[in-house]
Amino acid sequence: MGNSANIRWVDYSIFGLSLFLIFCLLFDSFIQLPDLVAWLGKWHPLILHFPIVLLLIAVFLGLSGKDIPKKLLTVAVFAALLTAISGFFLGKETGTKGDLLVWHQWLGGSLALVAVIWYVVEGRQWAKKGVAKGLQIVLIGLVGFTGHYGGMVTHGEDFLALPKKKRSDKIPENPLIYEDVVGMILENNCVSCHNTNKRKGGLLMTSLEGLLKGGDVGNTVVPGNPENSELILRLQLPKDDKEHMPPDGKKPLNDSEIQILERWIALGASDTVRLNQLEKSEPLVALVEGLMQPDPMEKWAALPAVADSTLQQLNSDYVTVNRVAANSNALSISVFMPPDYDPGFITGLKIVAGNVVELDVSGLPLESVEFDVIAAMVNLEWLEIDGTPVTDAEMKKLGALRNLKLLKIYQTPIGDQSLEVFKNLPDLKSLYLWQTAVSKAALAVFRSDRPEVSISTGIDAETLRSFAATDSISKTAKK
Amino acid sequence: MEENRKTKENPLKVNRRHFFSQLSVGIGSLALGSLLIPDLFNGTTKGSPVTRLGVPHFAPKAKRVIYLFQAGAPSQFETFDHKPTLRKRMGEDLPESVRKGQRLTGMTAEQENFPLMPPAVRFQQYGNNGTWISDFFPHIGKIADEICVIRSMHTEAINHDPAITFFQTGSQISGRPSMGSWMSYGLGNENKNLPSFVVLTSRGKGNSQGLYSKLWSSGFLDSKHQGVLLRSGKDPVLYLNDPEGLSRSDKRHLLDHVSALNKLHHVETGDDEIESRIAQYEMAYRMQMSVPDVMDISKEPESIIKLYGEDCQVPGTYAANALQARRLAENGVRFIQLYHQGWDQHGNLHNEMAGQAKDVDQASAALIIDLKQRGMLEDTLVVWGGEFGRTNYCQGKFDPMNYGRDHHPRAFSIWMAGGGIQPGINYGQTDEFGYNIVENPVHINDFHATMMHLLGLDHEQLTYKYQGRRFRLTDVAGDVVKDILV
Repeated sequence: MGNSANIRWVDYSIFGLSLFLIFCLLFDSFIQLPDLVAWLGKWHPLILHFPIVLLLIAVFLGLSGKDIPKKLLTVAVFAALLTAISGFFLGKETGTKGDLLVWHQWLGGSLALVAVIWYVVEGRQWAKKGVAKGLQIVLIGLVGFTGHYGGMVTHGEDFLALPKKKRSDKIPENPLIYEDVVGMILENNCVSCHNTNKRKGGLLMTSLEGLLKGGDVGNTVVPGNPENSELILRLQLPKDDKEHMPPDGKKPLNDSEIQILERWIALGASDTVRLNQLEKSEPLVALVEGLMQPDPMEKWAALPAVADSTLQQLNSDYVTVNRVAANSNALSISVFMPPDYDPGFITGLKIVAGNVVELDVSGLPLESVEFDVIAAMVNLEWLEIDGTPVTDAEMKKLGALRNLKLLKIYQTPIGDQSLEVFKNLPDLKSLYLWQTAVSKAALAVFRSDRPEVSISTGIDAETLRSFAATDSISKTAKK
Repeated sequence: MEENRKTKENPLKVNRRHFFSQLSVGIGSLALGSLLIPDLFNGTTKGSPVTRLGVPHFAPKAKRVIYLFQAGAPSQFETFDHKPTLRKRMGEDLPESVRKGQRLTGMTAEQENFPLMPPAVRFQQYGNNGTWISDFFPHIGKIADEICVIRSMHTEAINHDPAITFFQTGSQISGRPSMGSWMSYGLGNENKNLPSFVVLTSRGKGNSQGLYSKLWSSGFLDSKHQGVLLRSGKDPVLYLNDPEGLSRSDKRHLLDHVSALNKLHHVETGDDEIESRIAQYEMAYRMQMSVPDVMDISKEPESIIKLYGEDCQVPGTYAANALQARRLAENGVRFIQLYHQGWDQHGNLHNEMAGQAKDVDQASAALIIDLKQRGMLEDTLVVWGGEFGRTNYCQGKFDPMNYGRDHHPRAFSIWMAGGGIQPGINYGQTDEFGYNIVENPVHINDFHATMMHLLGLDHEQLTYKYQGRRFRLTDVAGDVVKDILV
């Protein structure tokens, strides 16, 4: 024991690293890593190979009754601890941790700590051989599972799965209700337990035949009769019910997904019906269309980052620039009539033009230069320029706003030429167009060209007449 | 060395030096780990992700709310809940199997029997969904395809003050912030030249209950979130206008100097309230211009006047307030709340309801039509309703010619429109006596949660810490009513 100082140093380091690791695991949600420390995590994929090999060699030696060199075990334990800690750092980079990563993290952490326990126990007289053996066997298991989960984290969950037909996650235009919609819902939520390899409850949900045949309970899908279909019954049970599907711990289906399955069964559980073959009033149409609509937040995720300080600078008494939602870079801007209007109120917004998705400049005495800036707001979806002096020439510039969904342009001098511009806005859904110079004939043509655009031409004459005629306040009461 | 081996052999036999040296490593590691937790020792608590106050939590469907509050609680049996059974069984005693021990107000507690009363008015079906609406509201019938009628509202309070306080603040006991203040706190101003929460009041000829400014108070929130009452007449906001003879440039000078003094004081004390005081002086200065501008309806065309009814030219009427509400919404006010008093029909129900309905029917419908033509229904939520319902039996002696209805918290009707609400639907149902809810109950907490959801706010996330706990508008309850959303 000539080098006991040295050994003590090693023991202390292992003790310290173990505590550090436990601390990290326990206070995971509170920890935010400085950049340099986070960078250390990038070494995880490199060093993780050392503990795997070294620990397995040590375990192999131990299990076959050979002496385990103390240095080998020491290096292996060190490597395991460093791997676990670096892995923890790397995991912090991913934001919210998925199930796989959580499993990998805790398995990896336990692996390192079990290795530490083995290191402490190994060679002690009070520790019986059986304890060491047990630990060694546990270690083999941990190495295997940790490695497997780690592999799934990097390569995907189905990396080791047998080859099969790949389904795209996006619903195509005019989808087959069973194949593209119902199938997708089942695949995302049910198939992981009810497939050809793992047929829980004897139920196969990968094909329509399987669904119709049912599982051990039977009546999984009764065409035309969702009330008696076990599938719907199970989905609608209270979440804490033992029979509820998907089982505890798995993400339950949301209301619209359940309703889609329900309506699909009610309509006969066909596998040939397409969306456009359904009546417009059938609730399934709206449900499927809702599913097909992209989440706006997702689309806006690609917008360039805007600093809060920039927004602060742009905001003034008459200009309100705000994020559409707290963690979004999409901007909503309203400009109110200042006593001393000049184009600078609008042109100043140029630096964030690409981020603006909603703009309200209604009632402002806009001049020509502002329209160049507005035309640069290519991600604009909602534009209010009612009550401004916008003309056909300027509207032509705004033809660049290909993402426009809603346009309020009532009480403006625009004429028929602007309809040509509107016609070429592919996403246009709502158009507010009254008290303009647009002719009735041109508007009728536009309506037939773009029937899906809802056009408001002001309050209809009949409503106005009837409201004027039946004034609620009786003449006698008015006195 | 000998000693070292001993301790190695028996971990329980550790001497003091070893204990401390080993302990130091442990504490050191923990300390190292704790360095990774930012703000551990600076007194702030962390947990939820960073939320920016004054910005919606997620993309909203509605940017503002116009709340047409019918103070006094209009009877559901003469508005939107059609119960022919009451006509068939007129005069019969309300079965105990229906009442199920529901508590009574002091006004009917001594009553020996509870004779069922028929609706005082006929009902008709309107719109594509055949929505039943009473003949008191022919104009609202015309907008049936725009509104969502909820017939399954319920509350906990049975008297006006706690009930209206509950509706306004989420608590029956006064002192909490009003819902408009919460929205202002959560979303901030859209137009910095007007308050974000504005209140307009009017009064019908029916039996009225008091309205108090506590209903639009900001409670423990910053006072800038308080509802501002716009009065009818010459001075919409009291003390806003300058005294005679003070020019606007003089006022500017005055404000600049006051502001300089305030800034000096702020440097000394660092009190944030001083900054918000400076900001409020500036806002009041701009409101001197913006308020008269918004309130001036002289440029509204004849057709709009006809739509809301001639009454909208008479300041202080419900119709005038409804038109005002549209103008305020156009100018970026977040929460506009109208109160129309006079809906407390304990007696003389037929006449009083008819009068009250005349006050609000046309203008409420006109507001929806006007918002729709301007595309504002796409991002403005409109709500119409009172604080609770009324009994299906009469208060006092049975007299089919002249009767009234007492307070009833278990079921009542409201309607909502625009701002992400499904148009033209009916939601929730009561039993054939209109007494108990049999389908899809909506509690006031649920209503608040839904309203906040439409505005892009998670009702569980928008909190304010006061007196040691975090407060929410929905306190500890509330579920978003997803079924009525687009």
